Amino acid sequence: MNPRTENLTPRRDAAGVSLAQALVYELRVRDAMTCRLRTASPRDSLRSIQLLMKEHRISGVPITRDSALLGLVSIEDIVHALDQGHINDPAEARMTRHPVVMRDHYSLVRAVAEFDRFDFGRFPVLDVGDRLVGIITRGDITGALMHHLERRAEEAVRKEAERTAAAVPDEPHRRFILNAEVRAGDFDSAGKLSQRLRQILRARGVEPSIRRRATIIAYEAETNMIIHSLGGRLTATVGADRVTIEAVDQGPGIEDLDLAMREGWSTAGPLARKLGFGAGMGLPNIRRSTDQLDIKSDLANGTRLHAEVLLQPARAP
Amino acid sequence: MKLADTLSRLDARVISGSPEVEVRGCYISDLLSDVLAHARPGALWVTLQTHRNVVSVAAMKDVAGVLITCGRQPDPAVVAKAAEEEVVLLSTPLTTFEAAGKLWELL
Ligand SMILES: Nc1ncnc2c1ncn2[C@@H]1O[C@H](COP(=O)(O)OP(=O)(O)OP(=O)(O)O)[C@@H](O)[C@H]1O
Ligand SMILES: [Mg+2]
Repeated sequence: MNPRTENLTPRRDAAGVSLAQALVYELRVRDAMTCRLRTASPRDSLRSIQLLMKEHRISGVPITRDSALLGLVSIEDIVHALDQGHINDPAEARMTRHPVVMRDHYSLVRAVAEFDRFDFGRFPVLDVGDRLVGIITRGDITGALMHHLERRAEEAVRKEAERTAAAVPDEPHRRFILNAEVRAGDFDSAGKLSQRLRQILRARGVEPSIRRRATIIAYEAETNMIIHSLGGRLTATVGADRVTIEAVDQGPGIEDLDLAMREGWSTAGPLARKLGFGAGMGLPNIRRSTDQLDIKSDLANGTRLHAEVLLQPARAP
Repeated sequence: MKLADTLSRLDARVISGSPEVEVRGCYISDLLSDVLAHARPGALWVTLQTHRNVVSVAAMKDVAGVLITCGRQPDPAVVAKAAEEEVVLLSTPLTTFEAAGKLWELL
């Protein structure tokens, strides 16, 4: 049976970049543009183009030959033609030649910048082969953002529901792997993996004292990486008979492991202490809580902690 | 004794969760690992820490609740996390020493 894996790495956009901001970078012009194009040929009269605009409620019509863009007739050009009395001229006589275009691969950030720079209401969109593939307005951009925000929101709700359902695993012996990237100094994300581990062990009916030992190890190992290391990775594997917790960081390693294991020894700095860390009891707590513990640390490779908690209390020999 | 029955003596206010839970004993510490090592499940944890790690530790140890002293207020994100993890948070204007005195008589 395949293990179930969950990644609990905190999202970076939680740190200030809103989803909408992230989306403008992610989405491309091709995701927002209108593809169903109303075009006209160079010989069509401005009058017929005016009717086309009216019928389809559009404000600009690209003039093309074999999907090559020759020019653009905008609503402003039509107003001007009516005013000057050449509304019956062919498009090619009055169209804007070489209109400013966008490429379908531009990000929406760039698209918005172009709208600000040129103050046009719409841009024809070309692909890399210079073929006309769409047209884009500011309204299209707003529409695409709204649409994607909505989709992301729905996705989040669905994921949450799946997660809640998964909190009561129907296969009690399936392996469950939780992993999370741990970033140095990221006190605000501490405890996510322990929280999830607690849910899973609870749902599996693991005895509370055993569940506590496993979550305490995960939490102490995680906070140590946040406070003392350059960052690393935390993994908890819930198997049929044991929980295995691994914390691997990128350094700088523990200089004197015997000293570090001693209750009360701490090199935590003032910020960590202010938040209630630095009692020097994390590693002793881990030792007390494990059935098997292995810590390797050297100044070249960082610290690697491997701890196991048996789910059934050890039988008397 | 129910946690709710200690509220008036402690002049405490409920910030999150329901105090209709049994409370057995008390542990006082501002050091998280110390609480992880020594607090008993079902105890009331008294601290002046308000950071969100308080909620993680309280949840892990299954304490009856957390009494935050000296009138300190956790920020809304911490309160939301406490609600999510079903951790009871209380706040009192009393100092930790004063709260301890009252709890000594009560529990
Ligand atoms: N991953 C690590 N990388 C480098 N040093 C570490 C690491 N983990 C622990 N240490 C060192 O070992 C010391 C003892 O760790 P321990 O977890 O027992 O206490 P603490 O983290 O300082 O305080 P507490 O865990 O009580 O909040 C730390 O102060 C630090 O010097
Ligand atoms: Mg520690």
